[in-house]
Amino acid sequence: MKHAISFILFLMASAAQADCYADYKAKQDSPLRLQYGVARIDGPCTAAQAEAELSPRLESAGWVLLNVMDVFDETGLEQRRDSAGEFYLRF
Amino acid sequence: MTKPDSNNDGTVQVNSISASETRATGSKFVIGGIAAVVLILLITAVVMFANLPDANTFNARVEQIFVANDDFTSQAELKLLEILAQSGTAFSDTIASYQVLIYVLLVFASALLIAAITFLVMLVQFNRRMGQIERKGIEVNSLLISRDQNTVYLNNFEFKLTEAAIETLSVLAEARMDDDVLSGAEIEAVISGRNASDCDEAAGATRIKRLRDTLGNQMVSELLVKNIARRGYMLAIDKDVIRMV
Repeated sequence: MKHAISFILFLMASAAQADCYADYKAKQDSPLRLQYGVARIDGPCTAAQAEAELSPRLESAGWVLLNVMDVFDETGLEQRRDSAGEFYLRF
Repeated sequence: MTKPDSNNDGTVQVNSISASETRATGSKFVIGGIAAVVLILLITAVVMFANLPDANTFNARVEQIFVANDDFTSQAELKLLEILAQSGTAFSDTIASYQVLIYVLLVFASALLIAAITFLVMLVQFNRRMGQIERKGIEVNSLLISRDQNTVYLNNFEFKLTEAAIETLSVLAEARMDDDVLSGAEIEAVISGRNASDCDEAAGATRIKRLRDTLGNQMVSELLVKNIARRGYMLAIDKDVIRMV
């Protein structure tokens, strides 16, 4: 019984903590620099939330968020690692 | 026919109406012309600099392409897009430098235009002055007395005088240089070397009359009534300027 409860708790926890990631496009002006990056989202896993979180994070590093392309869990991470390059999980 | 105001007027007729008209319209013409040149230059400059492509238009277009295409995500593609934007910016810089060049040429051209207008006006003024000089008849701007040859040169005309006439002319010339006015008695006194109080006023007047006669006679024959050897006499003027009232 005790095992069953702890198992259920574990399941709930892991479900709640299923990591959320987003890939986005950002830019810097004069000279124009472009960025494609992948970042972890702390809140609910939606594009709107990702935008709200990423915009100030990028702003502090001097980047302007252009758009959020998609949100996904860790299964989508690996295929984007190469494209994101140095901006993979940086912000 | 205008009213004669000097002894040989009517022989040299100058159209005085056109001269004064050009003077009246001349200054307005100059001011208007220069203002027009400056205005055209200003308008050209404003239009040119307003049409200067902004360096950011290229960047904005590249950014638009980047956002619109989800496929552009790899590092190499991003670098390529950045280079595209940079080359666009370089191109707009080149255009800007060309525009400065064109503007410099424009300034140069308008400076030439202004100079041309100024020269035109100067020409008009010179023409007017020439007209005045012609109307005035003979204007003496050089008088050279050669005493050993008994000759006097007025401008480029050479006149042979008698020894007495040269003496009188020399005395008058010296008095003129000192801004003096001589009476007949004083002239006679200087020439004869006696005291002025001992000299007769009429003697000096006679000397002046002889000088006027010989010099005036030669001047009229040089300028107006020419003597052509073994043929006769004719007026030394353009036949177009003769009018009768």
